[in-house]
Amino acid sequence: MIRNNDMISPYQLAMIVIMTVIGVGIFNFVHIVAKYGGNDGWLIIGILGLVHIFVGLLLVRLGRRFPGKTFPEYIQEIIGVIPGKILVLLIASYIMINLAYEIREFTEVAKMFLLPRTPTEIIIFALIAVCVYVVRGGVESVARIVEITFPLLFIPFFLVLLPGLPELDLSNLLPLVSDLDIKFMRMIPRVPFAFRGMEYILFYMGFMKKPEKASKSVTWALVFITFFYVSISVICLSAFGAKSATKAIWPLLIYIRNINIPGLFIERLDGVILSIWVITIFTTVITGFFIVTYSLSKVINTKEHKQYALPLLIVIYYLALQPSGLAELYEWGSWGFKYVSPIFVYGVPIFALVIAALRRQGVKRDEEF
Amino acid sequence: MGLFTRRKKAEKTKNENYKIKSTTSLDENLKKIRTILKDCDDVIYKEFRVGAKQDLEFALIFTDGLANKEFINESVLADLMYHAREIPPDAPELGNELFNLVKYGSIPTPELKEIDNLDDAVLAVLIGDAVLLINGTAKILVLGVKGWPARGVSEPGTESSVKGPRDGFTETYRFNSALVRRRIRDPRLKLKQMQVGRRSTTDIGIFYIEDIAQTELVEEVQRRLKTIDIDGLLDSNYLEELIEDNPYSLFPQMKATERPDKVAAALFQGKVAIMMDNTPFALIAPATFNSFFHASEDHYIRWIPATVLRIMRFVAGTLSLVMPALYIAVTSYHPGILPSELVLSIAAAREGVPFPAVVEALIMELTFELLREASVRLPILVGGVVGIVGGLVIGQAAVEAGIVSPIMVIIVAVTAISSFSIPDYTFSNAFRLFRFLLIFASGFLGLYGIILGLLLMLGHLVRLKSFGMPYLSPFVSLTPSDLKDTLVRLPIFMMRRRPLGVANDKIRLNNNRSEIYNSKDKKDESQGADKHDKK
Repeated sequence: MIRNNDMISPYQLAMIVIMTVIGVGIFNFVHIVAKYGGNDGWLIIGILGLVHIFVGLLLVRLGRRFPGKTFPEYIQEIIGVIPGKILVLLIASYIMINLAYEIREFTEVAKMFLLPRTPTEIIIFALIAVCVYVVRGGVESVARIVEITFPLLFIPFFLVLLPGLPELDLSNLLPLVSDLDIKFMRMIPRVPFAFRGMEYILFYMGFMKKPEKASKSVTWALVFITFFYVSISVICLSAFGAKSATKAIWPLLIYIRNINIPGLFIERLDGVILSIWVITIFTTVITGFFIVTYSLSKVINTKEHKQYALPLLIVIYYLALQPSGLAELYEWGSWGFKYVSPIFVYGVPIFALVIAALRRQGVKRDEEF
Repeated sequence: MGLFTRRKKAEKTKNENYKIKSTTSLDENLKKIRTILKDCDDVIYKEFRVGAKQDLEFALIFTDGLANKEFINESVLADLMYHAREIPPDAPELGNELFNLVKYGSIPTPELKEIDNLDDAVLAVLIGDAVLLINGTAKILVLGVKGWPARGVSEPGTESSVKGPRDGFTETYRFNSALVRRRIRDPRLKLKQMQVGRRSTTDIGIFYIEDIAQTELVEEVQRRLKTIDIDGLLDSNYLEELIEDNPYSLFPQMKATERPDKVAAALFQGKVAIMMDNTPFALIAPATFNSFFHASEDHYIRWIPATVLRIMRFVAGTLSLVMPALYIAVTSYHPGILPSELVLSIAAAREGVPFPAVVEALIMELTFELLREASVRLPILVGGVVGIVGGLVIGQAAVEAGIVSPIMVIIVAVTAISSFSIPDYTFSNAFRLFRFLLIFASGFLGLYGIILGLLLMLGHLVRLKSFGMPYLSPFVSLTPSDLKDTLVRLPIFMMRRRPLGVANDKIRLNNNRSEIYNSKDKKDESQGADKHDKK
């Protein structure tokens, strides 16, 4: 019998990382890659993705210093209770704004392709309400639902991509490797956008029964994410060429829209894929949402996290409705991901790791083995 | 609140300790029993005297209809009247002497119990045993002479199968436990019995295999059963609702089955079966989402067709959930998804239908559910009428009158057929209700609503647990070896290990198939191997 132990398995951690990092941004992602990386964008994102494996391992390093503890618990040890709580609150509000952004972005996409006449408010509210229900179930529920939706999401997605492959024109990727240094410099500020959500590792690692297995799952998760990013970049860049891909806001959706599977009774696949894609926004939101509620419970020192889910629904709903439209949303986004995200994805963990190492807190590397 | 519970507790302990002790005087005992069983006219009191001088007083009490009268007449009364003569009349403790003689020598029944209080005696009478009181001793003998009219073992009504065993449980608990015991002749198959229900005193048995089922699971089941304090239990569903993890869920968290082979199979997987008197439905705990899609027949036919059938069942289950919702979503929100010819033909069929697709779907689905309910409740003789009304009046006439489109009728029909392919009745009810939820969701938000509805259902399912086992296992908390018996049913020789959550004996089967292949070529060797095995 498996008891209610609030534990997650290494496999579930990998799934959480994948399903969190790959979010709605994927539709817009190729646009950004094409805009800043040109036809070499896929290569650059591949290399940067591999670099992020090391970032991921850094996060794991920090988590392993404090086995069985989550970030909000050990940050209070590292930098003191009050500063720790403030930092946790900051992270929680950052994640919350992030979630609102994701939800709003998805709503805009959904309005464009699925539900042109439905009010934005209803689309947003319905989504968050379902998320609240799952988040109230605790970390186990979150991990399980992420685990179970992973194949439901990616198997149909890759199956849909397959029939379009023969029509790709790989010559669009040529010339290979030109002005790589300039493109790199332009791409780097945009990368936190693609890998935001990685910092959740710090939180979810604390729920692992065997934290020593985290590095393996994080590596695999990031390899998968990089592979996924590279493959859709290659597909879209070679299908449209860098210039046309820059002109479309959501190149991936246009690519999917143009796929015709012979013999299938479904004519336009974008609607289907988009509705399946609800799953990814859903998982992105619940993993983040859980962290926000959990952090709050650690800041206020309550045993349960459940009671915060419902009030936060209203906050996220309010935040998601702030941008007046897609243009404003993406404007805010491009600023936020450039300047704010790096602080939380890289800055905070490195800062915490350095302080912990200086103050000799937690388990050191040589003691672990 | 606290006050009341405390008071209740005090009453309870009082009841347990307070039992009327029997005395040595037969008359006194009889009088007390008669007072307790006052106005119970089906209880028969037979007072008789035996011995040479006719001075040894006996009384036999039993309930008419519950006890086997023939047996009482031939074996109890006749034998007693004869054997009591062997006691020397001047024995100092006549009563006890007599008692021992009767207990150890006289009555040819294997079930004999000795008690010393009248409450238990009364209970025994009501259960169907006979109680023998003897003048001069406070001890009372309970003779197991149960024998009441019972339905014989017959084919289970709700879970029929083409191939495989055909015996099903009946309303008699003892028959049922025997049916399971017959399948597992292992001393480690344990049956723990208890009685639940303040007034009904219903027999409940917990079956498990000692070294396969986890001790915590068995203890948890027992603990939960002990918390039940109810006047009477009429069906195992009472138990289910009283001890399941989440009583507010639509999904059953224990599997009710009429098939002893299913119970045996579950026991081999480390599960626990709860059996109850007066119902042919045994409960298997823990139950998972996966197991409700399995029919026992899956293991009685070859594995490839079994796998195909199983996948078909999962597909049908999904269809029964989403079909009407998809129809609504496609017709009212996303006609662009379908090829234009199909959209045109749907639009042409829907021309003249005055309602939006949601209302159309609701009308038809509700009608179908009504039909289904009617045909379940009606006597068989009238049942045929329902078919005619359903098929002609509602199907054809509704379309011709232009209330619904013919495509909607097709959708409802496919949904209905699909929902029948879910093997478990309780479980398919959950799907029925979720179908309506999805219809509403799709009416509001189209495909997006359907996906949200499904995610809500999934969210509920991942939160659900059955006796600590995640409801969606083995799909969640992944153990790859357990996936052999889920969507697919791999050959039996491949399922070497028992599923997750098993105590000690984890190996189910040792695959010796290679020996079969070898023996074909070298007969001598295989004979040698056989001898080796026998050693």
